[in-house]
Amino acid sequence: MPKIIHNLPVKPLSRRDILKSVACGFGSLALSGLCQQSVNASPISLGQRHPMFPARAKRVIFLFMAGGPSHVDSYDYKPELISNHDKDYDFTGVRFGTFGKKSKRKLMKPLWGFERYGQCGQYVSKLFPYTAQMVDDLCFIKSMHTEGVAHGPSTLFLHTGATNLVRPSVGSWVTYGLGTENQNLPAFVTLQPSSSKGGPRNHSNAFLPAIYQGTAIGKAGRPTSEAVLRNAVNTDLTKEEQKRRFNLLQGLNAAYLSDSEKNDQLDAVVESFELAWRMQMNAPEVFDFSRESEATKRLYGIGEKHTDDFGKQCLMARRMAESGVRYIQVNYADESTNPRWDQHSNMPKHMDHAMATDKPVAGLLADLKNRGLLDETLVWWGGEFGRTPFSQNGDGRDHNPRGFTTWLAGAGVKPGISYGETDELGDTAVENKVHMHDLHATILHILGLNHEKLTYRYAGRDFRLTDVHGSIVRSILS
Amino acid sequence: MLYLLTNKHQILEKTLIILIAVMFHSQSLGGEYDYFERKIRPLFHKHCYECHSLKKEKKKGGLFLDSRQGWSMGGDSGPAIIPGNPESSLLMRAVSYTDADLRMPPKYRLTEDERSVLFQWIKAGAPDPRVTNVNIETKGIDLEKGRYFWSFKPVLDQPVPSIKPTLSLEVNKMSAIDRFVIRRLQEEGIEMVGLAKPEVLLRRLYYDLIGLPPTIDQLNQFLSDPSFEAYTSLVDELLASPHFGETWGRHWLDVARFAESSGGGRSLMFKNAWQYRDYVIRAFNSDKPFNNFIREQIAGDLLSGGSREQRNDYLKATGFLALGPHNYELQDKELLRMEVVDEQIDTVGQAFLAMTIGCARCHDHKFDPIPTADYYAMAGIFRGTQSLVPGNVSGWVEQSLFPSPQVENAINQHLNDSKQASLDLQIARKELERAELELGKSAIVIDNTQSDIIGEWMKSTSNKNYFGDDYIHDKGEGKGEKKVIYSVLLKEAGDYEVRFGYTHGTNRSKNVPVVIEHADGVATIRVNQRDEPPIGSNFLVLGRFKFNAGKAVVYVSNAGTKDVVIADAVAFVPLGTKKNNSDSRLSELRKKVDDLAARVQHLKKSKPADLPRVMSVKDQAESSDWHIHVRGEIRNKGPVVPRGFLKVASRNDIEAQARIAVGSGRLELAEWIASNQNPLTRRVMVNRIWHHLIGQGLVLTTDNFGLKGDTPSHPELLDWLSSQFGKDGWSVKNIIRHIVLSRTYRLSSRGEGLGNVMDPENRLLWRANRKRLTAEAMRDSILSVSGNLDKKQGGYTIRKFSQYDLGYEFDSSRRSVYVPLFRNTLMEIFEVFDAANPNVVTGRRNETVLPTQALFLLNSPFMNNESNIAGGHIKRMVKTDIERVRLAYQSILAREPSRAELELAMKYISATNSDSQNNNWGSLIHSIFSSVQFRYLD
Repeated sequence: MPKIIHNLPVKPLSRRDILKSVACGFGSLALSGLCQQSVNASPISLGQRHPMFPARAKRVIFLFMAGGPSHVDSYDYKPELISNHDKDYDFTGVRFGTFGKKSKRKLMKPLWGFERYGQCGQYVSKLFPYTAQMVDDLCFIKSMHTEGVAHGPSTLFLHTGATNLVRPSVGSWVTYGLGTENQNLPAFVTLQPSSSKGGPRNHSNAFLPAIYQGTAIGKAGRPTSEAVLRNAVNTDLTKEEQKRRFNLLQGLNAAYLSDSEKNDQLDAVVESFELAWRMQMNAPEVFDFSRESEATKRLYGIGEKHTDDFGKQCLMARRMAESGVRYIQVNYADESTNPRWDQHSNMPKHMDHAMATDKPVAGLLADLKNRGLLDETLVWWGGEFGRTPFSQNGDGRDHNPRGFTTWLAGAGVKPGISYGETDELGDTAVENKVHMHDLHATILHILGLNHEKLTYRYAGRDFRLTDVHGSIVRSILS
Repeated sequence: MLYLLTNKHQILEKTLIILIAVMFHSQSLGGEYDYFERKIRPLFHKHCYECHSLKKEKKKGGLFLDSRQGWSMGGDSGPAIIPGNPESSLLMRAVSYTDADLRMPPKYRLTEDERSVLFQWIKAGAPDPRVTNVNIETKGIDLEKGRYFWSFKPVLDQPVPSIKPTLSLEVNKMSAIDRFVIRRLQEEGIEMVGLAKPEVLLRRLYYDLIGLPPTIDQLNQFLSDPSFEAYTSLVDELLASPHFGETWGRHWLDVARFAESSGGGRSLMFKNAWQYRDYVIRAFNSDKPFNNFIREQIAGDLLSGGSREQRNDYLKATGFLALGPHNYELQDKELLRMEVVDEQIDTVGQAFLAMTIGCARCHDHKFDPIPTADYYAMAGIFRGTQSLVPGNVSGWVEQSLFPSPQVENAINQHLNDSKQASLDLQIARKELERAELELGKSAIVIDNTQSDIIGEWMKSTSNKNYFGDDYIHDKGEGKGEKKVIYSVLLKEAGDYEVRFGYTHGTNRSKNVPVVIEHADGVATIRVNQRDEPPIGSNFLVLGRFKFNAGKAVVYVSNAGTKDVVIADAVAFVPLGTKKNNSDSRLSELRKKVDDLAARVQHLKKSKPADLPRVMSVKDQAESSDWHIHVRGEIRNKGPVVPRGFLKVASRNDIEAQARIAVGSGRLELAEWIASNQNPLTRRVMVNRIWHHLIGQGLVLTTDNFGLKGDTPSHPELLDWLSSQFGKDGWSVKNIIRHIVLSRTYRLSSRGEGLGNVMDPENRLLWRANRKRLTAEAMRDSILSVSGNLDKKQGGYTIRKFSQYDLGYEFDSSRRSVYVPLFRNTLMEIFEVFDAANPNVVTGRRNETVLPTQALFLLNSPFMNNESNIAGGHIKRMVKTDIERVRLAYQSILAREPSRAELELAMKYISATNSDSQNNNWGSLIHSIFSSVQFRYLD
C-alpha cells in the first residue's frame, strides 16, 4: 500500500478545511483550538477569535513617539541629576567605537521643572501639562530597557521584538490571536507611519499570513487630512458608473465560475470584491469628522496650530477603536534621518514635540474615558528608547536604551502607579527592570493571550513575539 | 619541595580550604547537609527556581538547580558548580556580576552575604542531599539514523516503470514522467483527465516560459496547427526567447531574496545590485549549468581561469551572498558580523539545500539532524569571508570589474600622465617661487583675517586647501547682505595678475561675484565655487589689471547667489611695467606654471570613467575554525569546531570536513553543494522547477526538505528527474523541456469524478493545477495589452538614486523584473499581489486573497489608466462592437469570449450613451483585467 494515500481525506476538502489552513497556517498547534472557533462563513475576512483566557482589554492604541523622548525631562524625576548638574561622571559606552569603554560625560539637569499631580502625586515635568492632568489614569513603567542603540534596530525591536531578523510586528501577532471585530475595516491599522527606521517592517506580518499585515493609512510628514485608506476612492467614475462597472465585473466572474467546477479559491476572489466594495462604502465614514462636536474637536486640539495634525490622528484612533479595529498605532513620526524626538542637540526643541502631542494625547484619554472605551482599551505611550542624563553636543542628549519610561493606561493596568526605577541619575534601569520583551508579554497577557503559546510555525520552527524571553509584569495588572 | 613551588597566595588559600573543611566536618556530625538546609536551599528557592527548576518545568539555558544532578551536569554552558572550586564555578561567576554577558539572577545582584554563603558552600565541596529520580534525557543527534531520512539518502537512478495499457492512453506515447505519474494513479485506481484545450495550453505555456500572454497572431497560428509537433517546436522557440531568462531568473531572484536596498533601519540603496539581477537572467537564458551557477554564487570571487567576461560574471554572482537584508547601523559590530554570517548560512541552506540550518544557531536543531556544531562548522567558513566594511554605519564589500585591455591601458596611461604633470607643476612652482623671492616680485596676499567683513560670516577649516588659518563662508544665508572687502596699498603702479582664493565643494554657489576696482574701471568676475581652483587647489586667476599706486580694492559679495559662498584670500601678483630680463624670465615661469596647472586640470577632467563595481564578498586575510556560541550568544564561546558542511547530508562524517588547503573554505562548500554526491541539491532544484510548472512541488515545501517539511508525493519521479538533471549537465532548460512536453503538464485543469473524491488536492496529478498569475505577470500583461510595455533588456534602472530607499517613486514601464526592488518600498502592485518578500528565501510565494487586492483592481490609477488606453486601442482597431469584444478577450485571455460573457459585455456597451463610449471600452477592459479568469491560468 503506498504511503501517501493514508494522508488523503475521505471526503473533499471543504471550504472550512481550506479556511483553517489559510487563516491559521499549517500545523499551528497552539492555535488549533482558536481556529475552530474562528472559522466563519467568509473565506477571506478575518473572524473574531476568543482570547486564550479572559482578557482585560479588547484592543490597543499605541502612541508611538519616534526618536526617543527624554524620560529625565518628562516623567522620571531625578533630584540627584539636578544637584549634580554639570559634573563629570563615568558612563560605559554602548555605541560603535566606545562599546564597553568608560568615559567621562557631563551631566545635564532636566530643562523643565517637575511638579506633583493628581491624587497619586506623581511627578510630571512642565513638558506635559495636559497629560499631567490625567496622571491618576496612568501606569508608569520607569525601568524600561531594550535592545539596539541606533533608531533602526531599536524601533524594529520595539515593534517586532528583533533588531535585525525579520519578524511579525506586535499588531500582527495580536490580530493573529484575536481576529477582528469589524469586517468592513482592517483589523490592524497604523496611522501615518514613517518609511524610515525599519519602515513597513514595523507593521509587517513577516511570515504570518498576509491577512495579519498592518494597513498603513497616510504617510509620516504629510497632513493627516490626506490620510485615507488606499484605493478606497475612485475619482475617475461617478458612483453610478462605478456600480455599473462593478456589476459587470461580478457578472463576468459569475459567468466564468458557472462554467467551471466548484472552487473555493475562486469563490474567495469573488467574495473579496464584495468585501472591498463594502469597505469602499463604509471606510470613509471613519475618516469623516463632520459629526464630531466642536467640544470634542477642541478636546483634541483640532483647529489649533500646533495640535491640529496629531489631534486628528488621535481622534481617528478613537473612531477606529469605536468601530472595532483591534490594534491602532498612532505615529508621531516623520521621514527624516533624525526622527522627531531625537534631540542630539538643542533639547529645548522637545517643547515643540510636547506641544504637538500633549493636548491630543490627554484629549484622547479623556474622550475614551468619557465614552467608557478606556475600560476596554489599553493605551500605550512610548518611544524606542529614552535619552541619556548626560549632555551631547552641549545642549542635546544621546540615545539611551538602558533605562527609559513608558506609560500604559486603561484596561488591564493599575491606574495612578509607577513601577520600576532607574538609578539616581536616570541612566540605567536598576529596580524591577522591564525589558521590551517583558512589556510585549504583558500587553499580550492583558489581551488574553499567552505569549509563550501564541506561536506560529515557520521554516521548521515555532516562532513567538517574545522569542525565548519575556516575563509578565504582574505587579502592574489591575 | 612543596614550599618552593607554591607562592604565598596559594598557601593562604589552602589553609582556608582546610579550615572551612574542618569547620564543616565538625558540623557534619550533626548532619553534613545542615549548612545546605539552613542557608543554601532557601537561597536557591528565593532567587533561582523561578527559572531553573525541573519541578516547575523551567530550565532556562538548560540548567536546573533543584537537584545535585542539575548543577553538576549543568546547562548549555557546562557544569554550574565545580565542588571545592568556587573560582571556576560558573554559578559564582554569574552571581558575582563580573561578566556582563552572564549575570544571574538577571534583574538584580545577590547581596554580599548571600554570595559569600554560596562561595563557602561550594568551597566546602557543595554537599547537597537532593537527588532526583528524573531521568535526564541526554539528547544527542543520531546522524547515522538521520541519513536514512528520504532527503538525505543518495539520489537513485530510478528505472522508468511500466504501465498498464488502457483505452484512453497510448502507452508508447507516454514520456518517462507520465509513466511515473500514471503508475501511481493506476495503483490508486484514479484516471487522468483529458488534455487541455489548445488555447488553454497555449496561455499556460506562454506564461510559464516567458511570463507574457501570446499575441493574437501567435494564438491564431497555434489554433491552426495545435499538433504535438507544432507544440514541441513552440516550446523550443520559447525556451530560446530572451524573455525566458526574465521569467525564470525572477523565480531565482525570489530564492536569492534579491533586493536593491538593505532594509532594516536606514534602508540603504544598493546601487550595483542590478548587476547580480542581470547576471541571473543571463545565466538562465544561456542555460548555464546549474552546478556552475551554484559555484559562482557561493565562491565566484575565488574561481580562477576563464575569459574576462567570465571572471566578471563570477564576481557579479557573489552578489548572492552580499545583498541580504542587514541593519548596517547595528552598533554592536561583533553581533552584526555574526548576524550577517547567520543570514548567509540560512540563505545558502534554504536556497540550495532546502534546509533550515539557521535553527541550529542556538541549540541542536529541534527537528532535523543538524547539530549546533554543523552550524558553527559553516559559520567558520562565512566568518572567514568578508562581507562588511567597518564604520559607524557599516558598509558592504564592492569590487571593480576587470577592464578590457584597452580600458586598462587608458587608465594606466592617464594615471602616469597625471602623476607626471603634477610632479612637473610642483617643480615649476618651486622655481617660480624662488625666482619671485630673488627678484622681490612675490605676490601680495590679503587673507580673510585681514579683510573687512560685512554681515555674518562663519569660520571654517573643513576643506583643507585654504590660505592662512582658515576661510569663511556665508552659511548660504542673508543673500545680498554680505561682503568681504580685500584692500591693499600698492607701492608701485603697474600690471597685476589678480588671483582669488576659495575652497571648492558641491554645496557652493556657482556664480559668486568678485569685483575688482582697477585703474581703468570696475570688473565683476563670476566664480563657480564648485570647480576646483587650479593653483594649489586654492587660487584662481581672475585676470590681469592695471592698478595705480595706492589703495587697491577687490571684494566678494554673496548677492545673487543661491548656495554657500566662500571667501579665503586675494592675491596681487606684480607683472612689472618695464621689459627686462628678470621680468621676462618671471613671466616665462609664470606661463609655465599656468600651462602645467591647466594640464593638470585637463587631465582631471578627462579621467576615464571609474570601473563598474559590483556587490561582492572576499576572503578575509586570515581565516580559521570558529567557536560554538553557546545558546547563540556571541560572547559565550564554547569549543572550536573544524570548518565543514552538514554531516547528515554527507555519506559519512569525514566527507563533511572542509579539508581546506587555503582560504575560508567557501570554495570547498560550493563544491560540496554542487556535487553529484550531494543528496539534496539536485532534488531541491528539480522540485523548484516542478513547482513553477505544475503549480505545486512534488515536495510541497520547496524550501524545507527536513523532517518538518513535506514528503515527496512521487519519490521515484523526483529521483529520476534529479538524476536526469545530473546526466543532462545540470541543464535547467532540459528539465523544463521534459516537463512541459509531458502529458502530465498538458492536462486540463478541470475534472470531476473519482480523482476529486479521492485526491481533491491533486497530489497524484490526475489533472493540471489551476495556477495564479504572479504580480509581475499581471503587470506585464496589462502593460502589453495597453501597448505601454517597454521590452528593453537589462541595465541599471533606478531612476533617481538616493542614499535611502524611502519614498521612491516608481515610474517604470519596463518589464517587472527590471522595476527597482527595495526592501522598504515595493511597487504597489507587487506589494498587494504577493510578490516575494525580499527579506527571506522564497521558493513558493504566498497566495492570498485579500480585499486590498480587490481595491487595487477597482480603483488604482494604474488599472484605470492602462484600461482606458487599451480600451481606446480596441475601439480603434475593429469596427463592430462584437469584434471589439472578441478582440478584447483574445488579447487579454487568449481565447474567444463564451456566449454568456459576450452577452454581458454587449449589454454593458450598448446601454451607454455615445459620448462616453471610449470610457466604456476602458471599463470593459478593466473588468476583464480584474476578473477571476485573468488572475488564474487554467
